[in-house]
Amino acid sequence: MNERELDLQLIQRIQNGEQQAFALLVRKYQTRVANILTRYVRSSGDIPDVSQEVFIKVYKSLPNFRGDSAFYTWLFRITVNTAKNYLTSQSRRPPASDIDAEEADSYDGSGALKDHANPEAILHSQEVKQVILKVIGDLPDELKSAITLRELEGMSYDEIAQIENCPIGTVRSRIFRAREAIDKQLKPLLEN
Amino acid sequence: MKEYSQDLSSLMDNELGDKEVINTILDDAVLQKQFSRYQLIGDVLRDESNGLDLRMDITDSVMAAIANEKQDDYVAPLAAAPEPEKSNVVPFMKRFGQYAIAASVAGVVVVSSLMVNQGSSTDPSVAPVLNTVPFGGAAAPVSLQATPLQSENEIKERNERVEALLKDHQLQLQTQP
Repeated sequence: MNERELDLQLIQRIQNGEQQAFALLVRKYQTRVANILTRYVRSSGDIPDVSQEVFIKVYKSLPNFRGDSAFYTWLFRITVNTAKNYLTSQSRRPPASDIDAEEADSYDGSGALKDHANPEAILHSQEVKQVILKVIGDLPDELKSAITLRELEGMSYDEIAQIENCPIGTVRSRIFRAREAIDKQLKPLLEN
Repeated sequence: MKEYSQDLSSLMDNELGDKEVINTILDDAVLQKQFSRYQLIGDVLRDESNGLDLRMDITDSVMAAIANEKQDDYVAPLAAAPEPEKSNVVPFMKRFGQYAIAASVAGVVVVSSLMVNQGSSTDPSVAPVLNTVPFGGAAAPVSLQATPLQSENEIKERNERVEALLKDHQLQLQTQP
């Protein structure tokens, strides 16, 4: 199963009335949506509101989603349109250089909000990042390798198993153990 | 719990699409929050969260907004539609219509009086006077310059006739009980 198929399965559940499946989609994509919005929305304080508007629009439009394109491509278009509407409502022009849906996966808008973000948020973000990198650095090599190949290289379990020369079940276990170790340190940081 | 956490990790990597596992995750708030944190780990490693407030989790607010909207959609058709308030302002066209009717009547009166005047003022030597000639009659103009239309004999006959009528009337009164 690939990402597109899993998203489609969740969408079919939503279309059948399982609202909680939409919560899972929001959890999965909210950071990516916020990241796209940083390209348009200059005030970091407005990003949660505009993100919420994006997902409400997505939910309302889901009955019309037929799965011709990937859910993320569709979500990306709605995000950009909502951001442009937001700029119009603020009497501002959209940025001169636009981004296409094809660029959605590779888009890096990390620099866009830097100058406008809340200093406390930047500090917190840096702290979270440091904790994650430190835990990964302290992991045994086989766990470190598995999580890096998966998250940074986007490799499938099968591909990682071939590189690491181990069964897929072992890859699955290693990646989970790495995440579990990071989550143990991350959870109190996010809850506080 | 640990078993489902491992399934959650596999689900995130699109390596698991088992319906039962998805059902369990959808019903478990703790697993869903764990899913958010696992997702965040990947976002941070890929540098997709730079500058963002990582404490931001809009899931609850989005779901609450959707629930409210659904409730509104359901309630709206049941609620009686409010009657539109009646305006105290007289519509422009209504007032305009009243003026138009009044102006038309005034116009007809002026035009008809002008036409009658034109017909009656045949003698240019006669100064304009108040003309009270009705549309269908032949009354004399009221003016000192106006010439009498009846002769003295006619006036005498008329007075005699009136006197006779008065005498007759007095006789009738006397004979009544």
